[in-house]
Amino acid sequence: MVLQLHVWGPAFGLPSIDAQCLAAIAYCSLALPKDSWEVVASSDPSVSPTGELPALQNGAVWVSRFRSIVDYLRKHSNGAWDLDKQLDETSRADNVAFSSFIESRGQSLVDLYLYVTSQNYYGNTSPAYGSLLQWPNQWILPPKLHGAAKARTEHLGLSSLDLQAMEDQRQRDHSAAVTAGKIPKNLIQRPRDTVSSFLGRTAQSNHFRIEALTAEFFEPLEAMLGRKAYLLTAEDEGTPSSIDCIALGYLSLALVPEMSFPWLRDAMRAKAPLLSAYTERLRRRCFGDAPIDIAHAFAPESAPESPISWRTPGRISVAAVGTTLLSTLADSTPFLREIRKNNGLKKVAQSEDSELSAREKHVLNMHADASKKDMYLSVATVVGAVALTVGYVLQVGLVSFGSEEEEEEDMEEENGEVAYPTAADFLGI
Amino acid sequence: MPPKTTEGAQQPGTASSFFTVPPPIKKLFDKFPLATYPSNDLPQRSPSRRQGNQLFVFTDAAGARNGRPSFNPQCLKWQAYLKFVGINFETTPSNNHASPTGALPFLIPSQPIETANAIPSHKLQKWAIEQVHCEEEQQLNLRFEVYASLLDTRVRTAWLYMLYLDSQNFEAVARRLYVDPATSNTLVRTALGLQLQQAARDELLKTSKYIDVAELEGDAGNAFEALSSLLGDDDHFFGRPNPGLFDASVFAYTHLILDDSLGWKQNRLAQLLREHQNLVQHREKLLGFFA
Repeated sequence: MVLQLHVWGPAFGLPSIDAQCLAAIAYCSLALPKDSWEVVASSDPSVSPTGELPALQNGAVWVSRFRSIVDYLRKHSNGAWDLDKQLDETSRADNVAFSSFIESRGQSLVDLYLYVTSQNYYGNTSPAYGSLLQWPNQWILPPKLHGAAKARTEHLGLSSLDLQAMEDQRQRDHSAAVTAGKIPKNLIQRPRDTVSSFLGRTAQSNHFRIEALTAEFFEPLEAMLGRKAYLLTAEDEGTPSSIDCIALGYLSLALVPEMSFPWLRDAMRAKAPLLSAYTERLRRRCFGDAPIDIAHAFAPESAPESPISWRTPGRISVAAVGTTLLSTLADSTPFLREIRKNNGLKKVAQSEDSELSAREKHVLNMHADASKKDMYLSVATVVGAVALTVGYVLQVGLVSFGSEEEEEEDMEEENGEVAYPTAADFLGI
Repeated sequence: MPPKTTEGAQQPGTASSFFTVPPPIKKLFDKFPLATYPSNDLPQRSPSRRQGNQLFVFTDAAGARNGRPSFNPQCLKWQAYLKFVGINFETTPSNNHASPTGALPFLIPSQPIETANAIPSHKLQKWAIEQVHCEEEQQLNLRFEVYASLLDTRVRTAWLYMLYLDSQNFEAVARRLYVDPATSNTLVRTALGLQLQQAARDELLKTSKYIDVAELEGDAGNAFEALSSLLGDDDHFFGRPNPGLFDASVFAYTHLILDDSLGWKQNRLAQLLREHQNLVQHREKLLGFFA
């Protein structure tokens, strides 16, 4: 049985646009024999029952997330496909710690670089998604990913990389000034945005923060790598370990893509020359010498010889398109979203093959039922409140339901009387 | 007929506009305010009677009097750090609304250099270094930041799940510690509880599509294992003679996870942690600073 690794599709000359997917591809290419696995650029999280990519499919078994895939491969091969078996206790601890360090810090930097920085998102990332996704996902998924990346990096206080957010903020300030001062709108001077003022402002406010963030990330890795061939092992005594795969995933996204505003690549080259060379070397070894083109993923016969064997993703079916559209619609409707979330939970709880104990299932079921009750309660509250308001409005007589003709006539009469007051009325005679 | 004309002109104004205040509601609001009370006195613990450094943390009144550890990991980290480097301070029970940055802990030093000088948590280390000239440990070992990320991500997410999203623990621990002291109103308590749980859920869902409890606990287990082999047979992390910031960060979680007096109903993290006896002993030794 050939294992299939479902990933986000290729972009920027790399086999995937997502760091975790790149890490999974690198791990498979280092640990597995070439004919035992293939990559499917399905680019749609809904192919996997877990709703996440990367996902490894072995017949009916699906495993998602990098670490779970690594665990699964080790168990599946009885320990043969395990890059970490060579490590001693100290290296094992370093492996865990550096993985968590790269995943947390690297994810923020990649989010900032590819998604939050407006020039890069609109100039490079968004078009890349456009060419690798199929209709209708190309309209639905990128804004979702963009929003998620912004939410993840909010706490870093670098929203000034995001031109849209800055514009919003300025408009808020502007309207606050209008309401606070009751100054007529046309008298407030709107700051004029010249190119130099804009560049000056972003450069100054971001420079130190970005400098600190990138230094915090690259310096420990550069020191850890030193003159060694891999992060944990030297060339002559061992092979790469899983930490090298994760590092490659995040670092190659920082180093390889050609971006409109390449601050992360510049920082990496300046601060970590050894790390840049290591990334380039490991990338050749895992992904092949030639840059990967989107066409390779969809037409594998055209691809040059490389460590990755592609498999054409299945054509998206009409039913799948319908489901995607419906679920997107349902997710953006307030009450339906809650219902769907609860049903999802219950399905997990009731399904036979889930690995939950009986007690956990019970708890999950109780939670799903409780939140369903909550939802019915809130529906009832809203309906009740609307009914009360309408009743009150009708009773007080703010709105009366007469026949339309009458109202129109009334209006005409009123208009007539208002429009032609006699002079005597004004004079009070 | 003039009178009829004026009536006709006013009628549509009140009847057709949807946005005017309805008369009964206007009458009701005309009665406010019913009474105006004189302003309250300043609370007994107000800053005027303060001596010494005051650290504002999540704790209860008895805990503050006896200098007990705070029940919030962030607060406990800084409380422990200041104790380890030998700065004298008193703890004061507080909450997020009191803090200038919106987050606890913060410290008001005894000798004000300027007038407005509450020190937020991210500047506490710098302040402590200025006071007692201790080392800035991040600079000494490249593994500091790397292993600290284990605490900030894996251990923290598992902790958030255990405290807020495990419903039995939330009822038994978090509700008693965070919600009940804030108010006696049942409705507000319910709302506050839901808000806390939702905030924790949002935090966990930021990095993953769904919450996988087994994976959270597995990750925390791995993190404890890594920390345990980093500590090895030493008394303190990185072989230092005295406990420092990293010890404080680890202690903040290990103490609270192993503290049975909090009344945990489910404590999987403690089971995972007890597999590493050197971390348990590390916590017991450091608890001596709070005696």
